[in-house]
Amino acid sequence: MPDRPLDGVRVLDLTQVYAGPTCTRILCDLGAEVIKVEGVARADSTRGAVLPDNNAEGDFWNRAAYFVFRNAGKKAVTLDLNNAEGVELFKRLVAHADVVVESFTPRVLRQHGLHYEALRELKPDLVMISLSGYGQTGPWADYSAYGTGLEPASGVSSFTGYRDGEPLRSGISFTDPLTGIVAAAAVLCALHYRRRSGKGQYIDLSEHEAAIPVAGYALMDYLLNGRLPQRIGNRSPWYVPQGCYRCRGDDTWLAITVRNDAEWQALCDAVGHPEWADDERFADVLSRWRHHDEIDALIESWTREHDHIEAMRLLQAAGVIAAAVLNPKQVLLDPHLRERGYFDVVEVPGAGPRPVPRQLGARFASFEPSARGPAPKLGEHNREVLQGLLGLSDEELARLQEQGVIGDEPQFAAPMPAVRALVQWPLTTFLQMGALAALEPDYKAQLGIDDKS
Amino acid sequence: MPALSPAEGPDLALDGLRVIDLSQGIAGPFCTKLLADFGAEVIKVELADGRDVARSLGPFPDDIPHPDRSGLFVHLNTNKKSLTLDITTQSGRVVLRKLLAKADVLVESYPPGYLRDLELGHDALKDGFPNLVYCSITPFGQTGPYRDFKGNSLTCMALSGLMYVTGDPDKEPLSTGGEAAEWFAGLAAWVAVLAAVEQRARSGRGDYIDVSMLESLGAADEYNTALYSFTGAIRKRFYSRHQLPVYPMEIYPCRDGRIVVVPGGTGFPTSMALLLEQPELEQNPLFQNPWLRMVRWQEFEEILRPYLMEHDWEDLLTRAQELRMPFSPVLDPQQLLENQHLKERGFFQDIDQPELGRITMTGPPFRMSETPGRTGPAPLLDEHGQEVLLELGYDRQDTVILRERGIT
Repeated sequence: MPDRPLDGVRVLDLTQVYAGPTCTRILCDLGAEVIKVEGVARADSTRGAVLPDNNAEGDFWNRAAYFVFRNAGKKAVTLDLNNAEGVELFKRLVAHADVVVESFTPRVLRQHGLHYEALRELKPDLVMISLSGYGQTGPWADYSAYGTGLEPASGVSSFTGYRDGEPLRSGISFTDPLTGIVAAAAVLCALHYRRRSGKGQYIDLSEHEAAIPVAGYALMDYLLNGRLPQRIGNRSPWYVPQGCYRCRGDDTWLAITVRNDAEWQALCDAVGHPEWADDERFADVLSRWRHHDEIDALIESWTREHDHIEAMRLLQAAGVIAAAVLNPKQVLLDPHLRERGYFDVVEVPGAGPRPVPRQLGARFASFEPSARGPAPKLGEHNREVLQGLLGLSDEELARLQEQGVIGDEPQFAAPMPAVRALVQWPLTTFLQMGALAALEPDYKAQLGIDDKS
Repeated sequence: MPALSPAEGPDLALDGLRVIDLSQGIAGPFCTKLLADFGAEVIKVELADGRDVARSLGPFPDDIPHPDRSGLFVHLNTNKKSLTLDITTQSGRVVLRKLLAKADVLVESYPPGYLRDLELGHDALKDGFPNLVYCSITPFGQTGPYRDFKGNSLTCMALSGLMYVTGDPDKEPLSTGGEAAEWFAGLAAWVAVLAAVEQRARSGRGDYIDVSMLESLGAADEYNTALYSFTGAIRKRFYSRHQLPVYPMEIYPCRDGRIVVVPGGTGFPTSMALLLEQPELEQNPLFQNPWLRMVRWQEFEEILRPYLMEHDWEDLLTRAQELRMPFSPVLDPQQLLENQHLKERGFFQDIDQPELGRITMTGPPFRMSETPGRTGPAPLLDEHGQEVLLELGYDRQDTVILRERGIT
């Protein structure tokens, strides 16, 4: 296995759910040893999100999808940070660490005595980063936030939505993955500086602020012209026509952008309607701008007769920007992404191999930024870490387990049968209400991950 | 506020790192802007007659195009230097090679093969410049069946699956606005370049980086693909909600604007009933049972919407947060620029931008205690051409010859 850039860097990861785990997953893929610290009463809540085959039996917390793809390759220890001994053990780990990543609301770590000023005493060149919704200072510092809310808060929703419609959110937890990447960059900047200066430092990352630059065009338009953004659906502020067109088949679509006269001519020729290019309503860019609706109707009259993938290939071969709108299953089966090795196949305990997308959209000549192993079971590395790094004896580990400071089974607030009922999703109901397009029992065979293949 | 130079201000994290930037548009320039804002010296190489396309895209003051007045260009190119150089000529490539000899990183965003045909591909440069980190950013990457497809943010939204899950179920799939995929690619390139610089510190060799905009965005849509590979369920767009079992988590209108209702882990049933000032709702089955609420969401909204329409977003936000529910505001650019929280944090900073005057810019995306980022102007076209050429060892006569022949 070739060296990765962060080989030898040890990261203590106090984060949960999404943005923080994405940051540390990227650091892990880049070679860092990431030790995820949970508590038996504070296990990462994604350990209950999306179970293989929706099966909530046994130790479901060791195989949930959301946990698996954000934590593959990490080590997991449990420490109760509401217990003085748990805090003490964490501090002893800090002395062996290079980086601490945390995402509590700002007041929490100080209450535990685990804020940067305290940890720096234990490890003077420590790099520590805090991820929070709105940063460590200011009137909203104590506000909690989800990525689902921070996308509208960052301005991005003000220019996302159907034409003349309401602001809409993306179908993802937009700022969470974005923050995860930005936080990884922050740690890399700090490690770069530490290598050259010997100094560590503290980083205050506001997930709100990290996303605001994405609204750069709209911010500048307001500053320069006092103009607020409009929702323009899938159209472009610069190019015409651009849109998403219905294709043959159920809920299949093609996205198209035409930037100039040559591409317009190419599109008209490719779809077998060279006369469109000669029509004075569409012959030049200004005419096309004025007749966008009519062009959309013409394009859709053609796309409706074609399969979205075939239409993409036909138009791309003619030099036109076109892309099929893939559903999540089609993404997994896409020949381009598969050939590029975009999906890591991660082994899930008791559920077999599952393809999950890479976390960093970059390839390197000297190494693969791939998942380095399965996601850790709760407390799986208690012995390895607490004995290996801190030298605890078998007896001490047994006592800590006995006292609940460490452990490998989660404690839930609700009784276990209720928890199992809650983590099992009513997928058939979701299908009936239209939130799912399909529910395919033979999905493993389709993905080639069933026992037979 | 003028940019702090290392001599008079605090240290900068990437001080001493020199980047040659052949990229244009959004993704590549965003990556190199972030490198520059944290201290790297970024020399932007623009073709004399093929300058950065962002200089042509605006927004411009009063909508009058001018290459040095594009708001988008300024936003994406702070703290860089600009040099015009025609790398399609042999003479231009000689100058570029002199630049690369003193550089640590090259970032480019041409279509696959374009620079190779100019003998500037990674294969052509790796022996002459073994320390150089070479980063290419393209819509689909350098390999695979789509490598020569044309693409943009919309294309990546479509092929990543994100578009299929965004929007209303009875309407067409919807792209996130603002060319969002470009920004994700820029961030992935930023991480990749920083990682390769660390790798180089160990191995002594510059790495080649292949950034795919599609894959950068696709990583953000991980859980919709995983939902299929773990359960066989194909997610479909369903209004503003993305997480199947968590409802509501959506933008709603209120009296003076909009609010994102996010109950969090503890919002139901008690906190939401208290927020709506109808404590008896705690016993309502729609408050008690999350699955029921999800399925009969229209009934729930008959309770929620009228209350929201009678209250202002700041009041709703404040009280929800007091009840430990992570509601969020819905802010447009004006509200962001006037936001008191961001003001107290000093996020936006004023700079003097030639051709635009004093203008407000976004600050660094995080605060580093020892090495804060810097805010500074974007370069005018070829603003630093003469300076860069003289530093490379050319004399004044050389620069005149290069300029008269259209090389620089």
